[in-house]
Amino acid sequence: MLSKVENRSALKETILVVEDEILVRSTIAEYLRSCGYRVIEAVNADEAMEVIRHLEIKLDIVFSDIEMPGTMDGFALASWIRKHRPELDVILAGSVRRAADSAEKLCEDGPLPKPYQAEAVVRRIRRLMAARASRQQR
Amino acid sequence: MGAVPVEPGRPAASASDTRTILLVEDEVLLRLTLAEDLRDAGFRVIEAGTGDEALSILYSDDPVDVVVSDVRMPGSLDGLALARLIRERFPLTKIVSMSGHLPVSEIDHELDGFFAKPFPHQNLIDHIKLILEAEPQ
Repeated sequence: MLSKVENRSALKETILVVEDEILVRSTIAEYLRSCGYRVIEAVNADEAMEVIRHLEIKLDIVFSDIEMPGTMDGFALASWIRKHRPELDVILAGSVRRAADSAEKLCEDGPLPKPYQAEAVVRRIRRLMAARASRQQR
Repeated sequence: MGAVPVEPGRPAASASDTRTILLVEDEVLLRLTLAEDLRDAGFRVIEAGTGDEALSILYSDDPVDVVVSDVRMPGSLDGLALARLIRERFPLTKIVSMSGHLPVSEIDHELDGFFAKPFPHQNLIDHIKLILEAEPQ
């Protein structure tokens, strides 16, 4: 799935990150930006499709969560993309761990030195989520 | 580079003066173009699609210097409710609102800026730099 990334200049690569959980989305997006990618963020599949339909927005990779609220989950979005923009690579990540690992793989192909490991990304996301959960219990 | 472990989501030590903007906008195309212009201007930008997402960030340990928020948004918290809440609980955080309509609310005078859509993004960037300069870090 990452073979196209390896063969191209990563400097120009654009990744569309689709994730409904902001603490995960913003951390993964920031990590990928720090690796030199241009990152566009979508909060759900509907926003992702709106971006993808705009052909003037250059995209290379769609990086999506699987479980998302709304009209489409990650699997449905992936099959929609295969039909409408088959040239796009789609990476589906079903958990924070998988998302961080996939992001780290992309980062290894990125133009900048890898700033931190997937493990650190997962730790940060878990800490942010835990802080929010404890606030909501109060 | 690389010797100092940098925590994800934190500005690197060399960029410790990078200020963070929380951009709250439910219209994805507007959000992405504005976010990219703000990043090009040197800001760190966190993107939120709703007022509730914005709250998640504000209550996390991520420091936010300026909230730039749309006024009309779907969900349980529109831009005005969000602005009121920020004024109450995060008094040091700057708030700049943007809307397709003129400001007509009772908290307008508590905002640090208002932009009527559409507006040149550079005007917003200049304004944010101005309000951040006015206050010591």
